[in-house]
Amino acid sequence: METPSSKTGLFFWDQGGRLGKALDLNWLLSKLSKTKGISCCSLLEDPWGPEGLSQVVEKVKKGELGRLLWVGRFSREQQGILKEKLAEEGLNPYLQEWCDLEEQGVCRDGLEQTARSNKALLLIQMCLARVRLLEPLAPVEIPASESLLVIGAGAAGLHAAVSLTNLGKEVHLVERQSGVGGKVASLHRFYPRLCDPRCGLEFSIQTLIDSGRARFHTLSRVVSLEGGPGNFQVRLEKRPRFVDEARCNACGECARVCPVQVGVSPDSQPQGELPGLPAAATKAIHPSLPMGFPMAYVVERQHCPPGCRECERACPSKAVGLDQEPREEELLVGAVLVTTGWDPYPLFKVEEFGYGLYPNVISNLQMEGLLGSPVEAPKEVGFIQCVGSRDERHLSYCSTVCCSVSLKQALYLKQRRPDASCYVFYQDIRSPGFQEELYQKLKDMEGVTFIRGIPSTVRPEAETGRLRLRVEDTLSGREVNLALDLLVLAGGMVPSQGSEELAQVLRLPRNSLGFFESHLQCHPEESQRTGIYVGGCSREPMGVAASIESAQHAALEALRFTGGSVLIDPRYPVVDKTKCDKCKRCMEECPFGSFYFDENEFPTPHLGRCRQCGNCVGICPLAAISLRNLTIKQMAAQIQAASASFMDGKEPTVFAFLCQNDAYHAAKAAVEEGFPVPPNVVFVKVPCAGYVNNALIADALALGIDGVLIGGCEDGQCHYVKGNQLVRKRSDDLSDKLQKMMMDRDRVRFVNLEIRDSEKYTAAIEQFVQDLRAMGPNPFKI
Amino acid sequence: MSERNAPRDFSEIPTEIIETDILVVGGGNAGCFAAIEAKSKAPSLRVTMMEKAHISRSGATAAGMDAINTYIRTDKGETPESLVRWSRAQVGGGPIREDLALSNAQILNESVEMLEDWGLPIVKDEDGHYKLRGRFDISIQGEQLKPIMAEKAMEMGAKVYNRVAGTNLLMQDGRCVGAMGFGVRDGRFYVFRAKATIVTTGGACGIYKNYTSDYSGSHHQTWMCPFNVGTGYAMGIRAGAEMTSLEQRWVAVRTKDFSGPVDTLSVGYGCLITNARGEKVLRERYAHLGGDKAPRFVRLNAPMMEWLEGRGPVYVDTTVLDEEEAKDLREDLLNERPTFVLFLASRGIDITKEPVEIYGSDPYIVGGHTGSGFWVDINRMTTLPGLFAAGEAAGGSPNKFVGGCAAEGRLAARGALEYLASASLPEPDLTALSREKERVFAPLMRGPAFDGITPVEMEERLQRLMDEYAGGISQFYRMNEERLDYALKNVKMLQSQTQFLFAKDLHELMNAHEVIDRLDVAELLIHHLKFRKETRWPGWQTRMDYPEPNPELDCFVESRRDPGTGSVEVFTRPYQQLIPGDRTQG
Amino acid sequence: MPPKVDREKCDGCKAQQEPLCEQVCPGDLMTLGEDKKAYCRMPRDCWDCMSCTKACPVGAIETRIPYQLGYHLAKLIPMMGTNTITWTCIDINGKVERFRYVNRGRLD
Repeated sequence: METPSSKTGLFFWDQGGRLGKALDLNWLLSKLSKTKGISCCSLLEDPWGPEGLSQVVEKVKKGELGRLLWVGRFSREQQGILKEKLAEEGLNPYLQEWCDLEEQGVCRDGLEQTARSNKALLLIQMCLARVRLLEPLAPVEIPASESLLVIGAGAAGLHAAVSLTNLGKEVHLVERQSGVGGKVASLHRFYPRLCDPRCGLEFSIQTLIDSGRARFHTLSRVVSLEGGPGNFQVRLEKRPRFVDEARCNACGECARVCPVQVGVSPDSQPQGELPGLPAAATKAIHPSLPMGFPMAYVVERQHCPPGCRECERACPSKAVGLDQEPREEELLVGAVLVTTGWDPYPLFKVEEFGYGLYPNVISNLQMEGLLGSPVEAPKEVGFIQCVGSRDERHLSYCSTVCCSVSLKQALYLKQRRPDASCYVFYQDIRSPGFQEELYQKLKDMEGVTFIRGIPSTVRPEAETGRLRLRVEDTLSGREVNLALDLLVLAGGMVPSQGSEELAQVLRLPRNSLGFFESHLQCHPEESQRTGIYVGGCSREPMGVAASIESAQHAALEALRFTGGSVLIDPRYPVVDKTKCDKCKRCMEECPFGSFYFDENEFPTPHLGRCRQCGNCVGICPLAAISLRNLTIKQMAAQIQAASASFMDGKEPTVFAFLCQNDAYHAAKAAVEEGFPVPPNVVFVKVPCAGYVNNALIADALALGIDGVLIGGCEDGQCHYVKGNQLVRKRSDDLSDKLQKMMMDRDRVRFVNLEIRDSEKYTAAIEQFVQDLRAMGPNPFKI
Repeated sequence: MSERNAPRDFSEIPTEIIETDILVVGGGNAGCFAAIEAKSKAPSLRVTMMEKAHISRSGATAAGMDAINTYIRTDKGETPESLVRWSRAQVGGGPIREDLALSNAQILNESVEMLEDWGLPIVKDEDGHYKLRGRFDISIQGEQLKPIMAEKAMEMGAKVYNRVAGTNLLMQDGRCVGAMGFGVRDGRFYVFRAKATIVTTGGACGIYKNYTSDYSGSHHQTWMCPFNVGTGYAMGIRAGAEMTSLEQRWVAVRTKDFSGPVDTLSVGYGCLITNARGEKVLRERYAHLGGDKAPRFVRLNAPMMEWLEGRGPVYVDTTVLDEEEAKDLREDLLNERPTFVLFLASRGIDITKEPVEIYGSDPYIVGGHTGSGFWVDINRMTTLPGLFAAGEAAGGSPNKFVGGCAAEGRLAARGALEYLASASLPEPDLTALSREKERVFAPLMRGPAFDGITPVEMEERLQRLMDEYAGGISQFYRMNEERLDYALKNVKMLQSQTQFLFAKDLHELMNAHEVIDRLDVAELLIHHLKFRKETRWPGWQTRMDYPEPNPELDCFVESRRDPGTGSVEVFTRPYQQLIPGDRTQG
Repeated sequence: MPPKVDREKCDGCKAQQEPLCEQVCPGDLMTLGEDKKAYCRMPRDCWDCMSCTKACPVGAIETRIPYQLGYHLAKLIPMMGTNTITWTCIDINGKVERFRYVNRGRLD
């Protein structure tokens, strides 16, 4: 784009005299019209009336003005209209700027008219300093694939894939196991209809097959992910199945001749040692787990006796191939969904209930298997809730489903064996939403006893193997002694086994509990890596329905990076390669991992991954990174313009950088709500407090500004993960330096502000001004 | 890094071969300007810079600069000719290469103005002209001078190789076709094949001992950047290039104990040089040589003579300054030598109440200040075809300083562009490359357990030898034939013992080559000092056995070392006066 | 012993390839120790140019005058802006002086 003309037009909108009442507009106009670079400076009576913008439009059309500054209060919608209208005349929308004097408090603060007008002039000059350096910008188009990758083909992944194929997208489903279905496939029934979950899973699989747009990659894992949203290059590693999926029709001849019996995963089937339960076992060659899809057998090669090729010989379709090697496949996708689900918390870590020691102490997941098996249901059954959950020694959180699972299992047991007795040992029963109905139903059911208290000891009887336990009912205060046939431990959920490795491959941050991190309120399914979405239990424990809903939401968000191309907002960061020393702090600290090395090993932001928060600008020790419409030079020029004292040199001056998400709104509201914001402050908006580079603060102090305030979000509330923490750490370093320089460290101050903290903002400024008065003028003031 | 990447075996050392159109060896002031000029004149050509340190803070201007000592205020009646005349007088009438000086002066202002365009703050007077602080001196706020030049070079598209130390020129069929070196951080062997090569490696510091040098803390209280060790000269000497005027050593008068600029005080702020008796030394004792405006070597030698004759210490009298001037003065110092301000604070000196003590520095070979360096033609090509020199590296035209070195960098680039239009790049001579690689890495391959000499030991031996026998500061810069012979004999001894140098890491390997380079410069320097059997510039060159100037030696002294035999030939070239008038009057 | 590194403050520039002081030092003197903190490998060889002190992003480096030359303890602390620099000089008697000026841009 060619460099636009530097001729600047400056237009006031007085809003029917509102500005004129507070300020000496004539003085301002005459002063500004003499400013270097101003080609036109005038007052618009009614920009929205019939004549309104004609003079501006005319001048822009004739090329007399190359950039515009609007002074007055323009709503965001009005700014949009101006941008659009003047774009028709060829003015790039990024060559316009708005100076809202009112939000800076000029019209309301306690100053005299002359002083107010002086401050207004300074604010306008600050904007002009920026306007002079504006560059025309245009969105950048990056190509975007039509495919998506779904990692984890459980219920969440399958349903999300269905939604995406329904919308015409190609979906690659990656599953570590030999078959799809995940944990849900091993449940016996699920709430609320108490139907068999395989029914829904089968339905999804059929839909995916019918769509012709889904590919299943079983026995596979993602080993690398490069590129960015729109075009991620994915490398899969595929373990051999030793059976050709295209030839096998699951006739089972192979399993019949296979000489090896092996156990299967304890999570999907109950172990055989439980009294009365059949040995859950299978052959080394068996159908895909957990539910036989894909319809091809799989060989657990590690169990094969040396030299044995019985299955290969027996297979009528010549599908078995015991010499298959692992292989890799590369895919190109626009976005990635992570639906890797959960694993049960390893209950052997909770020693007090004898899990793993006594065969009739089982997990709730094993109970699903038992209920689904043909064996006779036990008569006296206890359920212990919150085993290892809400317990600092194990899991600090509540997995939200375990109460309902026990209620469901008790109900089913009672339906299957009406003479059964169920005892539920709990601290609290948590049955949110409609699940309360289930609780109420069971509470009144004969043979179901709720005991508020957790058993202290569990011991098997030597002869019968029945479990004796003692518990104090904390409601009645009585001690209860019971003998039970079976004890079911309601354990919680942890992120699935592969998520740690996946986090490394995808460079995906996880929270302290190991779940994938996201902004839980605003963008719950958006991970901290743009273009990668996290759904279901991979980001938080939840029930099946919520998990499906979450994955579908993730799919909806992911769609924006498919469809041929994506338009990127042009306000992305650029690295000044003449200054950059490749120190890589930006790479290290970018909250979204957006930076990669270009061919000359310069860190470069990936336009798709970047969220344009500007934290890299603040991070760079050489101030070599700029957002394209908020460059370091533009900001430095604004600071320089602000350093001309607007408080007659007697009162302290404060320059504030305010996060535009929260702190800026608080400041604006403070003025609107009539709080007495001291006139000593001028502020600029920044996309995130993390934008603020120490060199900018140093500029402000060097130029004689008495105090610098950074307004950022509350801890843990930053929209860009940690911008507020990063800037705080840096400004602390600067304060330490000020101290060494025998200056007050408090001249640089960070304030946490929420969006409605107008009163807090006012108080913070008042306090700051008061403190600065006590500190005396900035010693660098001339 | 250098420890981590130090190779222990030849087979571990990767060789990087880089092909380019123009190679600039040394990314300082002249080097940056050469690269910028080449890229702006011929944007499609490949321009590669090889820099021992990091281009943003390398070389003599690493800390910044407070003035540009040469700018021609034409509105004050100055012209390129008047600048050359002044320059000639500053070296006592020369001889100087007036052709070179004049061509430099003609593009000097433009070069300084380029710096301002790139963002260097230059102080202005009320009329908007550059503010003069001496006749040709202008004040700058040059703390960022080096990064500004470096960023411009990169912006223009020069490809910079930081932390690559040059070791030798790449010579083929009598032509220079690039240079070789090694990565100080990555331990690689670098070969730059270039159609034209410009050497802008700065001058040579550390040939002589400085008087504050001690083991623990202040070895580098030098005026010149101590990391400029004359590598460019040494590479040329080893390839048989002709060197000129090495005997015109630069010795500066500096603040005592902590090398700070004296011109800033005496020229910039009018603080006069006084002795222990309070006499105004130049005015009262050197009126016949121009008083306060006496040539530079006189101004240097005067304080030392005061010491020698029992009238030391010597000062610049800053007590004439008021508070504000004293503050401005220190602001200037912060731009060039910030630690001098710290030094004053560490002595608790209030310069408005106490004068600042001064003393001479150790001698340097710096062609941007005196006439030492490569003999070059008007295109700045040395006697080796394909090799150009500029700035401190190029001899013949003294008093170039920041502005003149910048201008000369540009002229060398123009010369190189003209030359390479008809130059081709021959196939590399692989045996020569592997021979150099072996030579370069030998000190590292000997291993830390080797019973040999450390680079620091050899450096200290050389510096003391030169100080005592070749006219260093401990001898008040005085020498005679017998002492020079002793110095030469021992320098040759040291040269023969470089085979015992060993390095434990890449940093020490760099130090080893630095001392090797210094030895080669010292050897030729002694030949030059021996040849000039006269005293032409007392202080810079003081022969006790020939205390007067000899009219027959009013010419350039030249030298050339035969790359085959190692024998050194010393000869003269005549002086040609182009600017008429009395040579000693500026 | 010119550059003195505050080991509490120095974060080795997050132990990325080279800390900034190591990158800029014209004498190749600053380097990272085993503990991932920067140090000057050969204090006697320092030219006192203060490039490292200016470059340190966390303000961990202080330039000291060798005791052989200056008394204990004076300080000179630069603070770098985008186009400004300030200096604070504290002499051995505790006297504080401050300097500030523009180091980039035209002075018109």
